[in-house]
Amino acid sequence: MVDLGILLQILFWGIYAGCIYILLATGLNLIFGVMKIVNFAHGEFLMIGAYITATIFFATGFNPYAIIVLSMLALMAIGALVERLCFRPILGTSKLNEIFLSIGLIYIFQNSAAMIWGDQWQSIRSPYQGITVPVGSLNVPVDYLIIMTVTAVILCLLYLFLRKTKTGRQMRATSQNRKGAMLVGINVERMDILSFSIGCALAAAAGTLWVVSGQVFNPYMGSIPAIKAFAIIILGGLGSIPGAIVGGLLYGIAENGAAYFLGGVWKDAISFIILIIVLIVKPTGLFGESGE
Amino acid sequence: MKYTVLLIAFVVFGALIVGCTQQAAPQAQSQQNAVKVGVIASLTGPASNVGTSMWQSAQVAAAEINANGGINIKGTKVPIQLVVGDDESTQQGGQTAANQLITGDKVDILVGGYSSAVTSSYEQTVAEYKIPYIVTGASSPIITHRTDIDTSYIFHHCPTTDTYGQYTTTFIDQVVRPAVNQKLNAPATRPFRLALIYQDTAFGKGVQTAVNATITKNKLNIVLVSQQSFKMGESDFRTPLTAIKAANPDAVYIAAFPNEGAPLITQARRDIGLNTIFLNVENNDNAQFYKDLGQYGEGSIIESRFSPYTAPAGAVADAQNTFKNSYTAKFGTSPDMMGASTYEGVYIASKAIENAGTTDKATVRQALVNLNMPQIIEAMKDGKISFSSDFRESQFDLWMEQLAFNSTIGECRPNIVWPDNLKVTGFTLPAWYSPGSA
Repeated sequence: MVDLGILLQILFWGIYAGCIYILLATGLNLIFGVMKIVNFAHGEFLMIGAYITATIFFATGFNPYAIIVLSMLALMAIGALVERLCFRPILGTSKLNEIFLSIGLIYIFQNSAAMIWGDQWQSIRSPYQGITVPVGSLNVPVDYLIIMTVTAVILCLLYLFLRKTKTGRQMRATSQNRKGAMLVGINVERMDILSFSIGCALAAAAGTLWVVSGQVFNPYMGSIPAIKAFAIIILGGLGSIPGAIVGGLLYGIAENGAAYFLGGVWKDAISFIILIIVLIVKPTGLFGESGE
Repeated sequence: MKYTVLLIAFVVFGALIVGCTQQAAPQAQSQQNAVKVGVIASLTGPASNVGTSMWQSAQVAAAEINANGGINIKGTKVPIQLVVGDDESTQQGGQTAANQLITGDKVDILVGGYSSAVTSSYEQTVAEYKIPYIVTGASSPIITHRTDIDTSYIFHHCPTTDTYGQYTTTFIDQVVRPAVNQKLNAPATRPFRLALIYQDTAFGKGVQTAVNATITKNKLNIVLVSQQSFKMGESDFRTPLTAIKAANPDAVYIAAFPNEGAPLITQARRDIGLNTIFLNVENNDNAQFYKDLGQYGEGSIIESRFSPYTAPAGAVADAQNTFKNSYTAKFGTSPDMMGASTYEGVYIASKAIENAGTTDKATVRQALVNLNMPQIIEAMKDGKISFSSDFRESQFDLWMEQLAFNSTIGECRPNIVWPDNLKVTGFTLPAWYSPGSA
């Protein structure tokens, strides 16, 4: 019989892991929703976000939770550049062009990061390490509560932006019907660059929270999270932000549950088993619509 | 339709990521009439920290040998030309590197190899071309014990998981168990509660097998209360550590690479509150490991044979310090253990070719079989480097270190605590240590 306290602890670690996945997958889904492009290099934006946060932290000693804003702004600029120079010229052409472009970007970003920062693993320390707070029957490090809060705040801000601002509504309109949006005068290219930038900023936030939680990072860290983010958006439903949130949480909890009950080697596999089951039962994903 | 395209793309992407490779980096300048020594190391990927140390250490050895004129082959001094193959920390990268070095660069002998999973993936090529290979980093015994291919050209110059798994388990039984019993005022009959967390590879499973076999064979009063595995390159260990904490262990033995071991201990102490003794495999005796651990490494144990920060007093310490100084002067960093054995590997290759008087592969192999040379920088059994007649393994003298936190530098530093003839201080349980309970 498994102790309830241990189950709650594993659930907690699952939610923490889910926060990273949610931010990464939400950004990916936002980009896919508006531009309908497949960017396999999305995990590299997480990696660059992690390095930018670490670099500023090592140079200034600022609180890494505050650096998240700078990291997101930097990735917005990088994202805008990548969208303008790389994806826009091939937009609307074959999906294969997008796939091979994004694979090329993986190598470019990984090798550039290795040249700039070296390819050895690194880690940083949170200023709040060692501080724990009681949560029900658990005694949890405060860093993870901050990570969950930061994730929730970012998602709330994204929700408000998409629902309450004119630009957000235009972005949603572009996501729902690109040609229709053009016909009513929405500058869809502006929406493209904006959605790509915001998607990259969300990846930067994920990267920052990754390093603040004490996980090691190196230039090759982004590939596996990117694969998982794709699995999450397929699971949740392509273009669906609620789907990315639920899918991310499901993945985080399922991974940690599998690691406990089945062993660490099943950690990655269980996510894809769930994906296969969901696609068999509901091929459009949990929150996807048949049109997607 | 979009789903179909995306799913196909997803599969293609996954396959590409798994098989992605970077270009190997041939470093040596072409030299005529040179002995070509191929060095297989992980210059990129998760193991690049260790791999870089291996490659740079090989360069220090080659520079020293060449400064003395090179290898003496029948009275003629021939310089060494190093050629590096980057295995990219992957099996496919290892196969590419080995193929390039053997068939492209046509090296005379191979040195290096880190990660048993990676190294074993290209042994078939080594066997097929019958190239003498001195493995200096991969520690699973399967490297020379496997029977599916001919490993007779492969020589193992680093302790195997069998050796150090047994050594560490013996240390736990003879030193840690009595200390815990003393703290608890418990009788010697109290079973020691050991947890094991290991990388799910030939290396990690090798340690797991060795620990289990040692306990069974020697009838040790040790109970394995939890055995958790993780995949290579993992960085989030919180859930398996939660399972380990629930098993109430007296100590945790970790079979991991340094990029896994440091976050594992940090997460255990900081996030899980697992205040116990962590025992680490020798490849963690690495400067980056100490840096990443910070204060969380205090009290931890590392089984070792070469440390960036300590050495047993005597001739070995002098030789190791000379090597460390040469390495630091050349590269500005500290070498690690796999670097030390790779440094020796180049010397062993040099000596074997000198003894053979030729670069003919079969003759060099026989020279390695017959090798009996003085130890170089690491302490060897009987002070000699030679390979066993059965599985061609050299025999090292090992020791155990305990880490003490130095608040001035913000890192831990090791002290040798076992065996008695080498120790500088005794093993102690930290004040915060919390023993397990049934």
